[in-house]
Amino acid sequence: MLKKSEVRILTILCMVLGFLLTLSYQTAAEKNNKAEEGQALWEEDRLRNSVLEEQEQNKELEEEWRSLQGEVREMEEEIAGEEVSSFNLVEDLERLRMLTGEVPVKGPGIEVTLDDHTYVPDGSNPNDYIVHERHIQEVVDELMLADAEAISINGFRITRNSYIQCIGPVIKVDSSTSAAPFVIQAVGDPEQLEAALELSGGVKDKLVNENVEVRTQKQNQVMMEAVVGESE
Amino acid sequence: MWLPVVGVFLGVVIGLLTGVHIPAGYSLYFTIAILAVLDTLVGGCKASLEKKFEDSLFLSGLVINLGFALSLAFLGNQLGVDLYLAAVFAFGVRLFRNIAIMRRELLRRWKIK
Repeated sequence: MLKKSEVRILTILCMVLGFLLTLSYQTAAEKNNKAEEGQALWEEDRLRNSVLEEQEQNKELEEEWRSLQGEVREMEEEIAGEEVSSFNLVEDLERLRMLTGEVPVKGPGIEVTLDDHTYVPDGSNPNDYIVHERHIQEVVDELMLADAEAISINGFRITRNSYIQCIGPVIKVDSSTSAAPFVIQAVGDPEQLEAALELSGGVKDKLVNENVEVRTQKQNQVMMEAVVGESE
Repeated sequence: MWLPVVGVFLGVVIGLLTGVHIPAGYSLYFTIAILAVLDTLVGGCKASLEKKFEDSLFLSGLVINLGFALSLAFLGNQLGVDLYLAAVFAFGVRLFRNIAIMRRELLRRWKIK
């Protein structure tokens, strides 16, 4: 029903229309693609940036961690040093307190009894047969040298400024008088203290030579009260 | 009878094969061109249904309409005013009117049969 010329023209026109539509469609599709690609690229870039940022942050944190660790180590060392020195100080203090008699002391120790000789031969000086204050002094010195922690004579603590004085037949330890027999107690390592006293040519030999009766006895438990106040 | 349909396919194939891309700035002109061609096609169909089809009228209508619409769009683009809307509007209105006329004509014929 259509004329031939009409068909020809319409066909050509349809062709043109198809061509134009295709071009438009292609362009639009490409534009969409580009946009998507751009989006993808942008996304990738963003992710990469965030990864980099994260890495940088990690590095920073790691550095911080390292420095903090170093600080902690320094502090630990410092504290350890302090502990050692303070421990030493406390130990020293305790030892010194024991020596000065500020604290009660108990523990294993030794007991040395010095007594006048019971038998004084005729014609000899009885003065040579009694215990003198220097004997006691020698024993005390020896015990102190042998690391005794605390020493007492007849129950009186020896402190840092004690004195032992001869007043005739009795002696005075600080302000208390006592007579023979003199019991010298010392807290410390009993073996060591005894060994110190019994060295050949040592204090014991000397005392025996000077006619003093010496008895040493190890004790499991020696107790000494604290000296109250400053002793004169 | 089926030649126009074949023509459409042929055009699509040519378009795909050439792979020409329209620069972004010219997409507007392509819109106008597509509208103009569509309008002319529908107008031709209508004319041939009414037995008033005339080659010279058809072709001159296509060329003049297309040229005017394109120049309007170009002018609008230069002035920064959307003058191409006038062409789009005119083509759209004519498209729908022609389609309506064709529909009535075809319905009338179908009823007569």
